[in-house]
Amino acid sequence: MDPLLLSAIIAIATIAILFSGMPIAVGLMLVSAIFLLIFDGFSSLELLPELLFGKLDNFALLSIPMFIIMGAAISSSRAGADLYEALERWLTKVPGGLVVSNLGACALFSAMSGSSPATCAAIGKMGIPEMLKRGYPATVASGSIAAGGTLGILIPPSVTMIIYGIATETSIGRLFLAGVLPGLLLVLLFMMWSIYSTWRQQGSDVIKKEYSWKEKFEVLPRVAPFIIIILGVLYALYGGVATPSETAAVGALLCLIVTVVVYKLYSFKGLWSIFRDSTKESVMILFIIGAAGVFSYMLSSLFVTQSIAEWIATLDVNRWILMFAINIFLLIAGFFLPPVAVILMTAPILLPIIISAGFDPYWFAVILTINMEIGLISPPVGLNLYVINGIAPEIKLKTILLGSLPYVACMILAIIILSAFPGLVTWLPDTLMGRLN
Amino acid sequence: MGTIHSKGQGVPVWIQIIRKISTVFGIISSAMIAASVLIICQMIWVRFVLNGSTIWQTEAVVYLMISAVLLGLPYVQLLRGHVNVDLLSVILNPTGQKILACFSLSIAMLLSLLIAFYGYEIFHIALERNWRSDTVWGVRLWIPYLSVPVGFVLFALQLLADIAETIRGNIPKNPGGH
Repeated sequence: MDPLLLSAIIAIATIAILFSGMPIAVGLMLVSAIFLLIFDGFSSLELLPELLFGKLDNFALLSIPMFIIMGAAISSSRAGADLYEALERWLTKVPGGLVVSNLGACALFSAMSGSSPATCAAIGKMGIPEMLKRGYPATVASGSIAAGGTLGILIPPSVTMIIYGIATETSIGRLFLAGVLPGLLLVLLFMMWSIYSTWRQQGSDVIKKEYSWKEKFEVLPRVAPFIIIILGVLYALYGGVATPSETAAVGALLCLIVTVVVYKLYSFKGLWSIFRDSTKESVMILFIIGAAGVFSYMLSSLFVTQSIAEWIATLDVNRWILMFAINIFLLIAGFFLPPVAVILMTAPILLPIIISAGFDPYWFAVILTINMEIGLISPPVGLNLYVINGIAPEIKLKTILLGSLPYVACMILAIIILSAFPGLVTWLPDTLMGRLN
Repeated sequence: MGTIHSKGQGVPVWIQIIRKISTVFGIISSAMIAASVLIICQMIWVRFVLNGSTIWQTEAVVYLMISAVLLGLPYVQLLRGHVNVDLLSVILNPTGQKILACFSLSIAMLLSLLIAFYGYEIFHIALERNWRSDTVWGVRLWIPYLSVPVGFVLFALQLLADIAETIRGNIPKNPGGH
């Protein structure tokens, strides 16, 4: 059969099976099993457990549960509330102070916890009612938190970046650094929009609170421990002291200790909920990684991956048109699938195409991640929207949706800016880790 | 077990037993992940502080992680933690939702049994031929391989329980996509 026709059939079968509501990992294994059975016969089914096992047999993957435990420990504590309070007290004089501090708290907390929904819940629970009380428009209050929550998958340490690194065999440390400036760019764009939108709807009619210096300083010691740990982990990673899995394990242990000692989480129940949530998340992600490994084995053993790459090369389109098409594809995939699944399913196919078109794989990681962030705040799946609907039931889902649209526009603008100035992505890793050849 | 499932009375005993088994393996899976945190930290301690060499740690944590994933499958299914795309079921009426859920859960169960079957074969060969990993530690490979058939059989059982629950009218809801 013509490999391109086969590719189309596999794509349709995958979409149909995933839309049946089957767990994504099971769906990927099922598609792989069906096509391997048809084209390679019964004996190929024996490979399934070995492929799954073999894909997971990788020390680098351990960084995923480790970072997840770190995030779960931080999320279970009052760290989110403390961080929010600290920024609010320090930034109260800044124009749009409250929304700026909310976005800042989102950026920091989502980086620390690595989880979008956890960030929306932790910061939004206090931030949204406070913003509404002080006269901020509901669209800004909900949209800023929804968008702010997505920053965690771009700002290091990010599980999404780790998965990209593993799927494409690129350096996780370099990927983390590549996400820093684009992350800050997004925060800046979000802040600018929030301030403008508040000003347009309310004038300068929002209530500001005054804080004494004592109030400003007393919150600092409470937010310090986790920030120090995260900085320590990143330092160890870049100092070449240890691998991501090793530093993340030490970070996880330290965060657990801080949670117990500083935040006084003594109960067994509390600790169990950290481990239960981390196990749930880790098993889900790692199962998808294993299954995606089986899926990409099937694709390459049936020559699908290779023939798609060859076909695109023969099209001879302008590289930016190609990039535009890839972005649209990723955007649509991100509307329906979680970032982990999109990256694992598409990266092995897209990366050779990207590289042969002359794009930097680290730059592409950032573009891909911003696409995934858009998916997190867009219907139909956009989990952040529903989390906010849950914590702020007084705001209609429609308002949350309308509120988050301008932030989607900010993200698209960021993609355009980063396409015009790719140096924003590559400068930091090049400076700190040396240029790639 | 969260609020997703109907509890206590009215739930057939066999479903309750399957849920208990899944939970026990969930706890084992969590314990394995917790153990790997400690083992990696111990390894770093030995290597960087005591300047010693480490032999078994890297391999042990990788196998612990693989086993934690496979043995954790049924528990994560119980918690509705495996993400899916539930768009089609949203547009269907309740009967359609029920049929679709039963269909996809049944296919998932059959696939799990298939993987469990082939997984048992690898385990069996590894045990019979006494396969060992090609490292200094040389761990007996049937031990980590055992988690493939065990994990997938338990996963299939949990899926069976979910099919029964769906037929009884409690369509398990997935809390979300991401």
